[in-house]
Amino acid sequence: MLYFEKRKSVSKGLKISIPLVSLIIGVLFGALAIAIVGINPYDVYKSLFLSAFGSWYVFSETLVSATPLLLITAGLILVFKMGVWNIGAYGQYIMGAIFSSYFAIFLPPDTSKPLMLLLMFFGGLIGGAIWAIIPAILKVFWEVNEVITTLLLNYIALYVLKFLMYGSWRNPTSYGFPLSKPFPDSAQLPIIFSHTRITLGFVFAVIAVLLIWFLISKTKFGYEVRVIGDNPTAAKYAGINVNKNIIIAMAISGALAGLAGMVQVSGIIHFLQVKINANYGYTSIIVAWISYLNPVMCFITSVLFGGLESGGYSIQISMRVSYGIVGLIESIALFSIVGAQIFLNYKLRWRK
Amino acid sequence: MSEAVLILLLSNAVKAGTILLYPTIGEIFSERAGILNLGVEGMMLIGAFFGFMITHITHNPYLGFLAGVMAGGLASLIHAFISITLRGNQIVSGLALTIFGAGFTTFYGQQWINMNLEVSFSPIALPILSSIPFIGDILFKQDIIVYLSYITALVMWFVLYKTTIGINLRAVGENAKASNAMGVSVYKVRYFWTFFGGLMAGAGGAYLTIGYAPFWLDGITAGRGWIAIALVIFAMWDPLKAVLGAYLFGSINALQFQLQAGGTTIPSAILNMLPYLVTFIAIVISSIIVKAKHIRPPRELGIPYSREEK
Repeated sequence: MLYFEKRKSVSKGLKISIPLVSLIIGVLFGALAIAIVGINPYDVYKSLFLSAFGSWYVFSETLVSATPLLLITAGLILVFKMGVWNIGAYGQYIMGAIFSSYFAIFLPPDTSKPLMLLLMFFGGLIGGAIWAIIPAILKVFWEVNEVITTLLLNYIALYVLKFLMYGSWRNPTSYGFPLSKPFPDSAQLPIIFSHTRITLGFVFAVIAVLLIWFLISKTKFGYEVRVIGDNPTAAKYAGINVNKNIIIAMAISGALAGLAGMVQVSGIIHFLQVKINANYGYTSIIVAWISYLNPVMCFITSVLFGGLESGGYSIQISMRVSYGIVGLIESIALFSIVGAQIFLNYKLRWRK
Repeated sequence: MSEAVLILLLSNAVKAGTILLYPTIGEIFSERAGILNLGVEGMMLIGAFFGFMITHITHNPYLGFLAGVMAGGLASLIHAFISITLRGNQIVSGLALTIFGAGFTTFYGQQWINMNLEVSFSPIALPILSSIPFIGDILFKQDIIVYLSYITALVMWFVLYKTTIGINLRAVGENAKASNAMGVSVYKVRYFWTFFGGLMAGAGGAYLTIGYAPFWLDGITAGRGWIAIALVIFAMWDPLKAVLGAYLFGSINALQFQLQAGGTTIPSAILNMLPYLVTFIAIVISSIIVKAKHIRPPRELGIPYSREEK
């Protein structure tokens, strides 16, 4: 029979190839799924690839999708490293969008741009952080499972957004559509490459990833985070304030997800509505894992997944292939990478 | 509120509760065996989709239900393989299963969107029991899938606490190594109960689209899988307490529906938020109670077991 034998050391070659192989497995199963509905998978993938990386303009759209992924993933890497399961980036993103939109909708439109953007920036950070601190406090003081609370808070945030969009924040001239009034120019993040939609938000994202890398690998806080992740009990005995660290890490993670929401409404959508692509919150969980919780690797992974997301939207329109294919490919890649972890430490052997 | 309205409300609460009861019981057993499966939402979606599709094609709701149950079971085997055989991280694998279920049903459900079912389960009034005043009208004029859920809860409670199967199952979730030493196959037990969890999630999903909301929409389960996972803690891993929890949340669904139908002035966003908000509050309260009473989850919940290592 087949059995697993422990390796003497972690296989480095596998460590590099596993994420790649996982993505390939995801793409292959996706091809199977597409073939079943009678469409040629090669055509779909070709079109998907070209709509994600085929020209500077489509690549710039890929970077637009990668921006929120980078921001959210940076924060998730921090909390996942300490074994805290923040599944609530979806809701934190929405709360960040709501808090920052408040200024864009209710301050006078002629407010100076730097002031407006600064308020929206902090609005996003604070909105997201609040939504993450609630489950963090419940976890550290009453051992309430954060997987469930962060998830439920996602739905609650979505309905808070709907409540506002169908209620007092709706633009009276939107013919009943659940949209806010358009953001004034002062509330729109400046574009940094002309003829694209890449805004200052992309710079925030790059800085956020670098900051998280610095925080994890170069500071005492980062050291404590890693110790807690390896063994929370040992961390407690070593005199690390586990509760405080959990709350701080969750706040940072929520704040970055909230900032992603702000970047999306202020930089891309330019008004608040029900559909603000909060699903980036779930995709980022996958990005974090495919990156092995490594901030540097998350640059590559975010761009790949950004391409998958933006290309996925394009093929839905151009080839009528349901956007569900993106979820299929992503989930199978995630299954593969989780299932493949064992091969880092074990070899498959045959025994009679 | 007149008695007729109250009866209608409560009998709808039982129906809505049935959608949650099956997956909650399933997850209780999977967790009792030590496997945390956060893929309930995805398995429910798959069950809901296959239930809907097969019923639509065959015009036979029972066949559709069976298809949904089996589809949920099959989906759970992906999680079982990754978390039992490959000892992968159960939280991430379960999340992947939820994303998989959503992606799969969105992709293949595209052509079924907004279609309706013309057939459903027909209610059967049980002799004698249905003539009990009030209670009979609520509990015993339901369809066969609801009756099956009563039986499932009772039988599974008995299995868990009064049979060798139940003792072994609980032992595996508490201390896998010791159960292996006693001659119980940890892998088999975990595979079986994870599969059972999938069947039950499929049943809840299929009942949703065949018996409760007979149409197809992307993400039609709307987070019910997560509410079911929360109900496991609320029920403190006990199948009979799960009945209580499921009907409590069923009543919120039914009330929400009744208020909306009655043209309430409460904004619909607030009404729709209610189940999640109440679950949130309930999970906080029950977690505090669980901690105070020293009730705890199965000891080795989420921890992979390896036969080779001592």
